[in-house]
Amino acid sequence: MADIRATSSPGRIGPSSLGALAWFARARFFLLLASSVLAAFVLSAVFAPWLTPYGPVEQDMSSFMQPPLSGTHVLGTDSFGRDLLTRTIYGARYALTIGFGAVLVGACGGLIVGMAAGLSGGLVEWALMRFIDALLALPSLVMAIAFISILGQGLDKVVLAVGVALIGPFSRTVRADVLQVKAQAFVEAAGLMGIGRLAIVRRHILPNVIFPLAVQATIRISYAVLVSSGLSFLGIGVAPPTPDWGLMIAEGRSFVSFAPWIAGVPGTALAILLIALSVVGDGVRERFDPKLGRQ
Amino acid sequence: MVDHKSILEDHVLGTLNRRQLMRGLGAGGAILASGLGSRSAYANGGEIRLAWINHVDTLDPHFTGFLGAVKIHNNIYNGLLKVEYDGKRVSFVPDLAETWDIRDDKVHTFKLRPGVKFHDGTPCDAEAVKWSVERVWKGTPKSPHAWKYKELASVEVVDPLTVRLTFNKPYAFLPVALTGSTGRAGTIVSRAAVEKYGDKFGRNPVGTGPFKFVSWRENDSIVLEKNPDYFEKGLPKLNKATFLLMKEASSGVAAVLSGQVDGMSDSPVQFVKQLAAAPNLKVYGEIEGNYIFVGMNCMRPPFDDINLRRAVAFCLNREIIIKQAFFDQGIVAYTPISPPMTDFYDPNVAKSGRGQFLDLEKAKAFRAKAKNQGTVEVVFLASEQGTYGTRLAQTVLPMLEAINIKAKLEVVERAAWVSRRNARDFDMFDANWWADLDPDETVHPEFHSGAPWNYPGWSNKRFDELVDAAQVTLDVAKRKAYYMEACDILMDEAPIAIVSHMPVFKIFSKKVTGFKYIPVDSLNLHTVGIG
Amino acid sequence: MLLFALGKVLQTLMVMMIVSVVSFTLLKLAPGDPIQIMLGEEYSPKAHESLVKELGLDRPLVEQYVHWIGNFATGNWGVSYVGKAPIFQYAFVEALPVTLTLAASALGLAILIGVPLGVLSATRKDTAWDAVSAVFTLTATAFPSFYLGLILIWVFGVKLGLFPTLGFVPPWKDLWGGLMHMTLPAVTLSTYFLAMIVRLTRANLIETLQQPYIAAARARGEPEWRVVWVHGLRNILMPLVTILGLQLGALLQGAVLTETVFSLPGVGQMITQAVLDREYAIVQAGVMLTACLFITTNLLVDLAYPYLDPRLRPR
Repeated sequence: MADIRATSSPGRIGPSSLGALAWFARARFFLLLASSVLAAFVLSAVFAPWLTPYGPVEQDMSSFMQPPLSGTHVLGTDSFGRDLLTRTIYGARYALTIGFGAVLVGACGGLIVGMAAGLSGGLVEWALMRFIDALLALPSLVMAIAFISILGQGLDKVVLAVGVALIGPFSRTVRADVLQVKAQAFVEAAGLMGIGRLAIVRRHILPNVIFPLAVQATIRISYAVLVSSGLSFLGIGVAPPTPDWGLMIAEGRSFVSFAPWIAGVPGTALAILLIALSVVGDGVRERFDPKLGRQ
Repeated sequence: MVDHKSILEDHVLGTLNRRQLMRGLGAGGAILASGLGSRSAYANGGEIRLAWINHVDTLDPHFTGFLGAVKIHNNIYNGLLKVEYDGKRVSFVPDLAETWDIRDDKVHTFKLRPGVKFHDGTPCDAEAVKWSVERVWKGTPKSPHAWKYKELASVEVVDPLTVRLTFNKPYAFLPVALTGSTGRAGTIVSRAAVEKYGDKFGRNPVGTGPFKFVSWRENDSIVLEKNPDYFEKGLPKLNKATFLLMKEASSGVAAVLSGQVDGMSDSPVQFVKQLAAAPNLKVYGEIEGNYIFVGMNCMRPPFDDINLRRAVAFCLNREIIIKQAFFDQGIVAYTPISPPMTDFYDPNVAKSGRGQFLDLEKAKAFRAKAKNQGTVEVVFLASEQGTYGTRLAQTVLPMLEAINIKAKLEVVERAAWVSRRNARDFDMFDANWWADLDPDETVHPEFHSGAPWNYPGWSNKRFDELVDAAQVTLDVAKRKAYYMEACDILMDEAPIAIVSHMPVFKIFSKKVTGFKYIPVDSLNLHTVGIG
Repeated sequence: MLLFALGKVLQTLMVMMIVSVVSFTLLKLAPGDPIQIMLGEEYSPKAHESLVKELGLDRPLVEQYVHWIGNFATGNWGVSYVGKAPIFQYAFVEALPVTLTLAASALGLAILIGVPLGVLSATRKDTAWDAVSAVFTLTATAFPSFYLGLILIWVFGVKLGLFPTLGFVPPWKDLWGGLMHMTLPAVTLSTYFLAMIVRLTRANLIETLQQPYIAAARARGEPEWRVVWVHGLRNILMPLVTILGLQLGALLQGAVLTETVFSLPGVGQMITQAVLDREYAIVQAGVMLTACLFITTNLLVDLAYPYLDPRLRPR
């Protein structure tokens, strides 16, 4: 998730334009590939119960620790005899749910705080800015850990903790956007014309802020998934026997030497999803966010 | 079916030569670099590094609650007695004491070795021993092990090297109280050090043992070094011992397999086969004094119904549990008495018909007599941070369904598990009692009416009589009879369904010599050398 | 200039204060009664009451906060509930150097390898190499670091036996041992930043190489390597420092996961373990420490900007 990024933006004249186009075309191919992979994950998450041969927490202790392609379990089983293919597909459910949920929480919170910071002035603005700085002073994972220590473990609490940890970055973006829009001539004109402040906010500022926020949100989903898997891996995220990929990797860690698929299958799935989300996010940003390098 | 596991193992073993080469190169580089580093090599003796995956709460033996800590204490301190094992029998022999004399069952006289000093130079004489005993018995703050001296009437200094402990009643449990069971009441600590450090003594321990305390970096390592004035001549052999504290067992396994550390303090069951197969390692471990069980809340429905409990006791397939939950480690348990309790364990208990065991017919018969004939729904309390995680619970669930008990698994964090168990907020739970050497500690505080660890909340008058009587007689034959009858009652009324006795492992690299295994979850480095 | 610095410092102090209030509230909101945990077996309502008084927990919250922040500033961070380990010693003296070493090694590695790779990508733009590099950076930024760490442990640590897989050896005590122990963790943590630095260097260099003075240098007959490495990279410092500032959070967060995988006794592992053990005082200290670290580094980065780029110096 780079914030400063290469710009071989098409349209630049010069000898690099051919190269740029080639890069662009190559990039587009990746984008297409990543989007289809992402779509596959989403679809399988939605249609999980129909796609999976077993239940996600269904144990079959007589066939535990089976390697992939060795029998009735395509991707093998874990140390409780649970089918890994099923758990991985359900894991996509959890990953995407937590990712979307957390980003939603973060974006809403960020919208409120960012708008307040951007629209206020003077000391209030300064204080709010310091507040945002304070929120940003902690890396998301650490903040999420701190919140989990109060809230306890569980799916909803992970969504909340990761979401709250995302409010900082979002509010900074929103505030920057608000300031930008506020400076536009038409907003000033509306003010001069006597249109009420609230109306200006509602009709001019908000719509122009929501769109970039949505773009940002899309980009941050992979980050949210990474943080929440990290939490589960550390043992302070969702509780077993939830089929969460981070949890599955942690559970499989004990068996890496003689049953590497137990951690390998969810690990690979997580890596692929994160990469796909990252590529799609980059593509979205490239398409919709011409100003690069800003927070 | 392709045996990936063996293939992987072969691969690991096959690459050993290359690994040795790499390690040789690395070692060469290390020797070159040792001029830069301050890793001075000791003349002889060497240094041992152990991966310590057990929790260490304090290095004060009178206040510890964890075996992981006691294993280290045994190297820093001595007790009046110690445990010895000759491969067949567990026995209690004098340690700091030279002789141990019992007169009319209530008076224990210990004659101490002369000239023993604490690491801080103060003498370990009768006065010091008396002070140490009194610290556990009635000191402030109150030691959690004070109950082991409940029947102590007095401790007197007879002469500078003789201490006498007088009890109100004959106390059969004394040898174990002084040596084992999670904290050694008979461990002798330095008065000067306790007075100097106060409540920080737990991080600055001073004893008489073969190793002196050097440092404890939280979450990182504990370092001990040789006590040159140790009273056992020629011991210890090692110059330094480093205990690397780690929470993650698989890190320890990786480290010991690759030779980064010289041993592990323990091993979870899933790694044992792999470790035993490694050519550079030796796994020590036999069945120790413990048992695993499924506990049921006898104080409220549905398990206030004795027939329902009996049904559970006979429906569990112990062999499948051992295979699936414990990776084939352990032996089936019929009663709480385990093999190291040499004088009390019946090696033929399996054929005797006593105790609990798998018998689906019997289980169904009892189930048919139960009050609730419909599907019984219960809450099974479990935690991932227990010794075996939720494996036992998950294996047992389908077995319960076979007798129409639908158990819902509630997995909580350890702290929550402990408080719910203590508050009896459960229908079923699984747990284990560990490192017991005497039947008294294995059934009395767990099943006596009103006892502090009686979580199932069970009560039986005859059982209470029997175990109370067994506590105050020293006659082994009499005690054995009492315990047999008591266990029969216990297993019949089934407040718990007993599952298995487990081995406890220590792993050492083959270059570690002289380790003497004792089935009391100890890791004594006295005689250990590294070659 | 001085005013600028002063202003920044003031801002920083305000932020620290907010963080400290949040940290303090954290401890107050935490479930479970720390008094109960501390008393353990000794628990009785009377003991509870006297310990509360002793710790000053019956005082008004504001007073407690002032007392706490005063203690914190002077290094009196209390002791852990169970083992009575002194927290300042644990967190600041023992754990912090480990995390700092890890972070510095990872960043160093990322820069040392990332910049040359980025140069290579830029100079071999649109070749197969560039494509491979693009794929690599894509994968590396998204790959979950804890999974990567596990893979590295088992491939390089156990199977090949090349590197130690756990534990920390202070490089200032034992350089070789320290480096060996830090290799796998540093590689794991650096991957994300490596990818970013490659991308950054590539972009920056491509843009710089199009400047007129580059053509001038070539016309002067300067060797190509000088053109690229000296003139081309002269603009790299600012973006690199900016990256550091922006991604510091990601670095610390990656450190938490890496420390757990490799059993390094750093701040990240300290916090995680404290959450599991319900040692809220340690969680609080860890949070404050991390925040202070982050804020201080950001302050340094902010103060460094005017030096690096004269255009940013306040008039």
